Amino acid sequence: MWETVAQAVINGLLIGGIYALVSIGVTLIFGVVKIVNFAQGEFVMIGMYISFFLANQFGIDPLVSLVVSMPVLFVVGVLIQHFLIRRVLGPNDMPQIFLTFALSLLLLNLALMLFSANYRTVHTSYSDEAFHIGGLYVPVAKLIAFAVAMLLSGVLWVFLHTTDLGKAMRAAAQNRDVATLMGINPNRVFCVALGIALALAGAAGSLLMPFYSAYPFVGQVFTLMAFVAVVLGTLGNVIGALIASLMMGIAESLGIQYVGADSGLIVVFAMLLLTLAFKPSGLGGGRAR
Amino acid sequence: MKKDRKDSAVNKGELNQTVSKRQSRREVLLKTGGILAAGAFGAVPLRGWAADPVNIGALYPTTGSMAQIGVGCVAAAKLAVEMVNDAGGIKSLGGAKLNLILSDVQSDTTVTRTETDRLITGNKLSAIHGCYASALTLIASEVAERAKVPLITGSSSDQLNKGRTYTFTPFARASQFARAQLQMAKLVSDSPKVAVIFENTAFGTSTSNGLKELAPAEGVEIVMFEPYSAGFTDASPLINKVKSSGANALFSLSYLNDLILIVRTVKQVGLNIAINGGSGGFVMPDFYKNVGKPAEGLQGVAHWNHDVSDDAQKVNVEFKKRTGEFLFEYAGGLVAQTFMLADALERAASTDPQKVREALSALDVSSGYAAMAPGGKVKFGPDGKNVYGRPVGVQWQNGDLASVFPKEDARAPLLKT
Repeated sequence: MWETVAQAVINGLLIGGIYALVSIGVTLIFGVVKIVNFAQGEFVMIGMYISFFLANQFGIDPLVSLVVSMPVLFVVGVLIQHFLIRRVLGPNDMPQIFLTFALSLLLLNLALMLFSANYRTVHTSYSDEAFHIGGLYVPVAKLIAFAVAMLLSGVLWVFLHTTDLGKAMRAAAQNRDVATLMGINPNRVFCVALGIALALAGAAGSLLMPFYSAYPFVGQVFTLMAFVAVVLGTLGNVIGALIASLMMGIAESLGIQYVGADSGLIVVFAMLLLTLAFKPSGLGGGRAR
Repeated sequence: MKKDRKDSAVNKGELNQTVSKRQSRREVLLKTGGILAAGAFGAVPLRGWAADPVNIGALYPTTGSMAQIGVGCVAAAKLAVEMVNDAGGIKSLGGAKLNLILSDVQSDTTVTRTETDRLITGNKLSAIHGCYASALTLIASEVAERAKVPLITGSSSDQLNKGRTYTFTPFARASQFARAQLQMAKLVSDSPKVAVIFENTAFGTSTSNGLKELAPAEGVEIVMFEPYSAGFTDASPLINKVKSSGANALFSLSYLNDLILIVRTVKQVGLNIAINGGSGGFVMPDFYKNVGKPAEGLQGVAHWNHDVSDDAQKVNVEFKKRTGEFLFEYAGGLVAQTFMLADALERAASTDPQKVREALSALDVSSGYAAMAPGGKVKFGPDGKNVYGRPVGVQWQNGDLASVFPKEDARAPLLKT
């Protein structure tokens, strides 16, 4: 009995780490640039395909290909901010929503055209391995993914709190006009924010590759979870999104174990509903960061 | 393109008849005109040049979501027609060659309807085979029934045997698959405790209910019966649940991606459980490519396998040479179907679809390529079902799919993992 619960919590925590990488990206973009990025999941998909092709063509381990997928997606993020999002930033939300939504559809269909709807998997020596402790097991690939995800989140937190650029980003998030008056170049800050967010999505993709299949629709699964986590953890709050993602992973896992395998998400959404009812600003306490 | 081919055939015929040029041109115009043309064509006495090819329609999805398997089917269809033609064609029709007319149904039910219609009205077909996916075959069969053209298919839906007179199904039906799966579980353990996990869609629900109904009669205990929503990110919670149910066999009614996750997770957990992946994507070469070593020892059921007979092995070698993959379930059945059609045409001594239907309904083979099927015999009942039809239990062994059940069809012993 306790074994089953403990195992469910471990499983949930590990997948929650991946949710965290995606949702931190969404919340960072929302917090700083004030737009909702519907295409975040598609960038996870791109990260997965980058790792898949590097593994397939050159035999590079998906975890090593992090050093390719993250910079590539960072540059993509900067370019998207500079050439697309910058043009739709304004008092009206609609063009921004359409832009990121269109981007999502475009990338999804492009992937369908280029890679077809087939599932692509990568086999690594540790893909099917697991540590066994007592009656419990911890899959190696997921443990690595979780550890790297937590490390990247930590690095981001340090960056936001100790560097000038990080502080400028937080300032721009708190009040864009005042930040501009203080001499902060908003477009530069936004470019970096987009870049970091997409790099995290790319990292999530590479970390997923040893144990999950890449296919054009893969991002949609993660986009949904990311949005719930972002709202649950207060919009724009990085730590909130991280904690909410881990909670959601655990809630989903326990839900599957004790409610039903087709209703694991019910627990997650019940959690969201209750939070919104009693603490509408989210668990992060309404403060951005 | 298809029209051009037909026109040229008509032209040749008329030159032989020495009809005046003017008349022939008009006739050609008439004949290209669809249904009317088909009627006119039928009226031309063909017996004089019996070596005219016999048109066989082939409906497969070669684009869209089912394309991958559809393309394999087309390769098999071409191979089968070549084999029949190289062996001298249809002798009772003066050595007439089979002429395969392909049509892409684009993995779409609406396109299937219009394409089947177009294929029948635009060509003088003697028979049709297709479409791999049951959802598409059901539609094609409806159209073929109305046009009174026989359709032969490996699709397993039981509905294809209801209220139809031109539809023939030489292989096991969906309802037979569940029983075979349960019987295989009894081979693994004397007291089988089965966990059934299934996708909460029409496919998963109907198949799992079939298992649940049959289980008590087969003496199999179902200890877990759990629907899940397709496209999950993590199979571990589900497998955790299977583990705590104490099952010694796992039936997973899933599409490819979920099944891959499930199999990998079972291996990670180190759970010693016999997995039966059912049919469909599971018995395709692609499954092994995606899962790799952990696929070893996994069981499934199929309506055809490449080791059912020596003839099947021969075809398998040739198919492997052409495509690089072993002859998979549907493609292999398709080769057998082509020979069943050839057998019927031989006895009908006519290309008339009605006569071909009658000959098909009297088909009774137990040797040769037409009898490549689990059980090795084909004879159709009044519902178009092969009365000897039965599924074959298979197991992944050394990257190949081996027949292991029932005893009469087994070519390798079942490995208890």
